[in-house]
Amino acid sequence: MNERELQDAVNRLPKSIEPPRDLWPGIEARLRQPRRVWYWLPLAAAAVLVFLLLARGERSAWDVTALAGRPLIGTRRFAASGRLRVGDWLQTDDSSRALIAVGRIGQVEVRPDTRLQLVVAKANEHRLALARGTIDAKVDAVPRLFFVETPAGTAIDLGCAYTLETDSLGKGLLHVTAGEVEFQTGSRSSRVPLGALMQIQPATGPGVPYVEEAPAPFVRALLAFDLERRGTRARAVRTVLTLARPQDAISLWHVLQRVDPSLRGVVYDRLAALVPPPPGVTRRGALALESRALEGYWTKIQRIHFRIMVLRGVRDIDPRTGLAKP
Amino acid sequence: MSDDLVARAQAGDQTAFRELYRHHAGRVYALCLRLTGDGRDAEERTQDVFVRLWDKLRSFRGESAFSSWLHRLAVNVVLNERRTTGRRERRVMPAEDPDDVVGAQHAAPPAGLSIDLERAIAELPDGAREVFVLYDIEGYGHGEIAQLAGIAEGTSKAQLFRARRLLREKLER
Repeated sequence: MNERELQDAVNRLPKSIEPPRDLWPGIEARLRQPRRVWYWLPLAAAAVLVFLLLARGERSAWDVTALAGRPLIGTRRFAASGRLRVGDWLQTDDSSRALIAVGRIGQVEVRPDTRLQLVVAKANEHRLALARGTIDAKVDAVPRLFFVETPAGTAIDLGCAYTLETDSLGKGLLHVTAGEVEFQTGSRSSRVPLGALMQIQPATGPGVPYVEEAPAPFVRALLAFDLERRGTRARAVRTVLTLARPQDAISLWHVLQRVDPSLRGVVYDRLAALVPPPPGVTRRGALALESRALEGYWTKIQRIHFRIMVLRGVRDIDPRTGLAKP
Repeated sequence: MSDDLVARAQAGDQTAFRELYRHHAGRVYALCLRLTGDGRDAEERTQDVFVRLWDKLRSFRGESAFSSWLHRLAVNVVLNERRTTGRRERRVMPAEDPDDVVGAQHAAPPAGLSIDLERAIAELPDGAREVFVLYDIEGYGHGEIAQLAGIAEGTSKAQLFRARRLLREKLER
């Protein structure tokens, strides 16, 4: 077949192909659900918050610089710099980007097609609401000073750099490149250390984090665990356990707390086989989800993970112990 | 397609929006199917496109044809999702991974059409397929593709060359 014949064949391809099933019901469900949950309640809450802040004379503002195009603050476009006040919305279109100075503790780059609001700008609380789009945040401060609310939960800075993206429904991705971030939805939370990613779902909030180089089948199994119902989750758990490596201990630590109690024992045993628990952490305590046991285990897992990440390319670290291999 | 339908949907009329979906679903699905090379992904992306459209509809000001505007939105949604998914899980999966290709997942094209070519396109590596679909099927220029896909213009040209060569080889077998 020559170039001309290929082009002729391409020209004969249909421009339209009907989907094999009706996709509208799924679209309609997604249109309805978030408008109730995301648009009105937070807007109302934000309005009340803005009113209270104004009433208390604490209206504040952060500097914003246009990095490309002409982003919007409220209804005003700006080409160079502007001020984002509490209650203001900042919006970028397909071709604009902006950089926000987060008080004195960091900065947030706002990528194209993003909409966010400054909710609180105080010395002890810096809070944005990311309605949709992508931000790159870099914060140099003590933990829990910088918060980003999304339709599916809140990213809590523990001293770090990260990229957070979300659509207007709350489906998104958190990728941490330095430090650690906690993502919380109601009582459910995930801890995402540097070099790890976590998917966020509107219905379930924070997923199970996984390391950047986690094999695709393992990631798929985690997603299935995050999304599937109780019956089919057991199968996903077994796949996760089979595929897990010592480097995936951060994932198993989260699975341990979310799995059906009947499966908690096998998850713990697998985790303990991959990364032995530190002194003082007992199987019984971990299965009872005692915070002391879980925190102790996390401290060890996190320390090993940080050593692997920080010394990557410099020293070969044993992922079971965190010690340099001879 | 009447402007009235778009205007009503912009005003929040979901019935009008459903009509918009009925008019454009086939075109959007075809684009998603060819860009993703996977029937299930294409269904998801098609739904994503219309959910996104609902969010962005008010920003449509009629400066271009609605169908062109929607088309570009769909391209953005698919490419953004691939970039995200690429970071999520495909970074470690070779493009030629059999699980990734899974020809069976690719929705069968309608009977009587160039099935071999559709299948061959679906089996192209991601980058080559995207450039081929956007350039040869959808008529985008290399500059636009580079901007949309976040690649250099030269890369776009190289991917197109590669895609055409692979397609010719596949179709000659």
